[in-house]
Order: sequence, then C-alpha cells, then structure tokens
Amino acid sequence: MTTMTPPAAPTRTPVRVPLWRRFGTALLAHPAVRTLGPFVPFLLIWWAVAAAGTVNAAFIAGPVEVWQSFTELVRKGMMPSYLGDSLERLAYGVGFGLLIGLPLGFVVALSSWARRLTWPLLLFFQAIADIAWLPILIVWFGFSLTSVTFVIVYTVVFPLMLGIVAGVDQVPRELVNAARSLGAGRLRVFFEVIVPGSLPAVASGVRTGLGYGWRALIAAEIIVGTSGIGFMMFDARRAGEVSQVFLGMIVLGVLWYALDALILAPFERATVERWGLVRQMEAAR
Amino acid sequence: MNTLEINGLRKEYVDHYTGETIPAIGEVTFSIGEGEFVSVLGPSGCGKTTVLNIVAGFIDHTAGDVLVHGRSVHGPGPDRGVVFQSHALFPWKTVLGNVTFGLRMKGVPRAQRDVAAADILELVGLSGFERKYPHELSGGMQQRLGLARVLVNEPEVMLMDEPFASIDAQTRRKLQQDLTEIFEKRRPTVFFVTHDIDEAVFLSDRVVVLSHRPSTVAEIIDIELPRPRIWRETVEDPRFREYTHHIEERLGGGEPDAQAG
Repeated sequence: MTTMTPPAAPTRTPVRVPLWRRFGTALLAHPAVRTLGPFVPFLLIWWAVAAAGTVNAAFIAGPVEVWQSFTELVRKGMMPSYLGDSLERLAYGVGFGLLIGLPLGFVVALSSWARRLTWPLLLFFQAIADIAWLPILIVWFGFSLTSVTFVIVYTVVFPLMLGIVAGVDQVPRELVNAARSLGAGRLRVFFEVIVPGSLPAVASGVRTGLGYGWRALIAAEIIVGTSGIGFMMFDARRAGEVSQVFLGMIVLGVLWYALDALILAPFERATVERWGLVRQMEAAR
Repeated sequence: MNTLEINGLRKEYVDHYTGETIPAIGEVTFSIGEGEFVSVLGPSGCGKTTVLNIVAGFIDHTAGDVLVHGRSVHGPGPDRGVVFQSHALFPWKTVLGNVTFGLRMKGVPRAQRDVAAADILELVGLSGFERKYPHELSGGMQQRLGLARVLVNEPEVMLMDEPFASIDAQTRRKLQQDLTEIFEKRRPTVFFVTHDIDEAVFLSDRVVVLSHRPSTVAEIIDIELPRPRIWRETVEDPRFREYTHHIEERLGGGEPDAQAG
C-alpha cells in the first residue's frame, strides 16, 4: 500500500518542500521502517511498564528478560527443536488439508448435485469449532500427532472449500463459452479456464485456511502438547517462567507475519491484481 | 450447399415467476453462403443475439434447424468461432497465449502455432504485442485480439456479436474499416450481429432485418456496393444512403435504438 502521497502541489506556483520533510517522507516510505516502525512505541511502552516495577515480576517480563530467555533457549536447543515440531505439524496438517480440500472444493463447486448434497453438511461442520473436536480426538487417537494433524486439516479444509466454490462461481460464463467455441473439451475448460479463473479466490482461501490452521495448532499443542511452541508456553506457565510465555507469543506473531508477508500475501496479490484489473476494466465499460 | 443454414428457428422461454411461455424468436429462416458477410440487424431486445447464441451452441432452441455445411449443430464447437461484445479474452494469458489457444486445443505443434499467430497478429495490427496481457491493451486492441483468436482457428463460420458496440466511436470506425479489409483479403464466412445500421450496410454483402419480439425476418437486403470498400468513399455512394434510409424506415420511423445493448 502506498499511503504516502507527496504533498499536493498547487497548480501554478510549486511550493518548495522543506528538506526535513522530504527526508521524513523518504524515511517513512522505506519498507523496513514501514514494517518495523509501528512496533517501536509498543516496545517502549512495554519496556517502560516492565521497568517501572509497579507490576509484580511474576506477572510481566520486560523485553530484556524475554530476549535473555530467547538466547538461552536457543543455546539449549529447545527453541529450534520446539519450533521445528510446530512447523512440522503445520506442514503435515496443511499438506493433508490441501490434498483433501482442493479436489473436494472443485467437485462441490462444479457439480450441482454434489453441492446440493454437501452444502448443509459443510455449513454444519464448519460451525463446530476446530478445538471442539479435541476431546473426542484424544479419545480416539490419544495425545498424538494424529490428533493435532486432524485439527489443522479440519480448520484448513473449510475456508479452502468455500473459497473455491466462490472462486468458481466468479469465473465469467463467457470465458467458458469462448474456450468451448475454440475447441476446448470439458477437461481442457477445467484446467485452462476454471482453475486459473478461480485462482485468486483459491489463493485467499489458502491464506485464510493457513491462518486458522496456525491458531488451531497452538491451541492443540496447549491441550495435547508434548512439544512445540504452544506446549512450551503452557509448560513455562506451570514453572512460573513468565518471560518464556511472552517469548512464545512473540514467536507466534513473528512467524506468522513472516509466512504471510513473504509467501502468502505476494501470491494472493499477484493473482488478484492481474485478474482483478481486468474485471475492473470490464465493469467500467 | 450453404455454409450456414437457419431453418424455421424458434425459441421460447418459460418465465420463472408466472410460468408463462414467452416467445423470443417467432420464426427465423435465412442462410449464409461460403465467404459471405451477412449482418443481422434489429431493434434492441429483438432477439438477434439470441439467434447468434443458438448458432454458437450456447443455448438450446425450441424448434427448427441450424446447419453448418449440412450438419446439425449441438453445443459449441470450433467450426463456429465467436467474437464477443465483451471480448472474453483470457486475462491470465498473453496475447500470444490467447491467439494460439484454439490451435493448441486442436493439437497443432508449437512451431506451427507460432507461425500462424505471427501471421494473424500482423493482419490485425498487433505485431509486437505478443507478450502483453489483455489488460495492458486498449479496448480496440482487445477486440482485434478477439478477432485474431477466432480468425487463426479458421472456423467454417465466424459469429460476431456486436463486437464494436462497447468501443468509442472513433476507434469503431477504424475497426470497421480494418475488418472490411481483413474480410476482403481472407473471405471468411461471417454472421455479424449489430444494431448500427451504417455499420451493417458498410460491412455486409446482405443484411437480415429482424422485427420486434418475437422476432421474424422482416426483410433481407442485398447490399450491392462495390468492394474494396473504404469508409469515406462508400458513405458518399448514393446507394449507401438509400440502403440505410430504407432500413431505418423498415425498423420504424427512422428511430432505431441509439443506445441499445
């Protein structure tokens, strides 16, 4: 987003922008400043509250203590190993989620009888919160990776399927007609028109699904946990290590931010922008 | 044998609210010969686009026959290429990807496709734009691409559904002139739907005038203007004005739908 617009220059006599202001504008436009800037006041307030000592140290840990426990956990190898466990579970869950959700989503989107048959079920099961499955899953699979994977798959599949249905419905009928009158059969229409045409919505579905999956993972780790970031936080609470609890929260935020900003958002933007632009042009006519 | 024959075509809709049967096309019969340019002209909502959509195989008809080289039409097919009013280009494909789509569906090898594409892009004036995406082109260029995509496929008949209706007036003139030149060079068989009388007379060998709904053929007029046609000269021809005046009267009071869609 380019929110930084240069000061509006009058039409006749251009006003000289002061040097400090131009420097400020350039600085604020820098991506690193734009990304990290908003965290600076937040960190300062946090540090000030922790350092003031008005709140009992058993309830709050300052940035310095959190940093220390971070370096300590990295040195001991716990942080890398827990992080690895969490990410591995996420990868499993999302992998299976995509494997199930993508084909199922397209079947429901394309076949009217499949949609009629499954739509009420979809809405029903979507309404059952992911962690609400945990009690029964623990009965079935115990405190295992299977239980955690199931929860993530569950959270990923529904937004993905709903995204695909919305995306397929958005594909202009005329593009399908055009392809068919250029000699494309059903299968070619699917791969050449339906799939690329619904890609922007599928991309948003994947992004939403992953976001839910990430949260579900931490919740599952807290309940099922034997390792992982969620487990680390809950375990630290028991041991009274507030700094590790804070650290866990920060790690969650940073990881998701990185995943979203570096992979998911650019992918979604790349598809939505090109496709969306075309739709806008057509609508403007 | 005629390239396209439409015999006793009828179309009825069932209104979903009232359950009534509404006739859209009363009875339409005409044919198009090999290499002939035929326009179908009529007031807005008269069902001319419905006729085209039936010929294209996008919608079913209630009665009658649509024959391409004597074969009955069922569903869309590459023997009937369609140029859409909204262009209907694939936004995720480049100009080259759009043009070669039909050949790819036919299984034409890549080298051959690229040669054919270069040839046709030259013809429509899009050489050098191969790597652009449709949204990077102007409306006029998009429709040139829509035309090229169908021309390169060498359909038995080209169906053009008000292809220039959404393009600004100046560009439209240029496109009409260029389409005429392309037609005179290649002689495809063209079924052209429009509500613009000047356009129909300028482009066509014959004009089929449809009546109001439910549409029937009001008149078929042979346009005996010499080719090659050049806009500036052709409109000066007294016969051009005779044709347009005649059609205007035919359509009722010289007030055809100015802003039809």
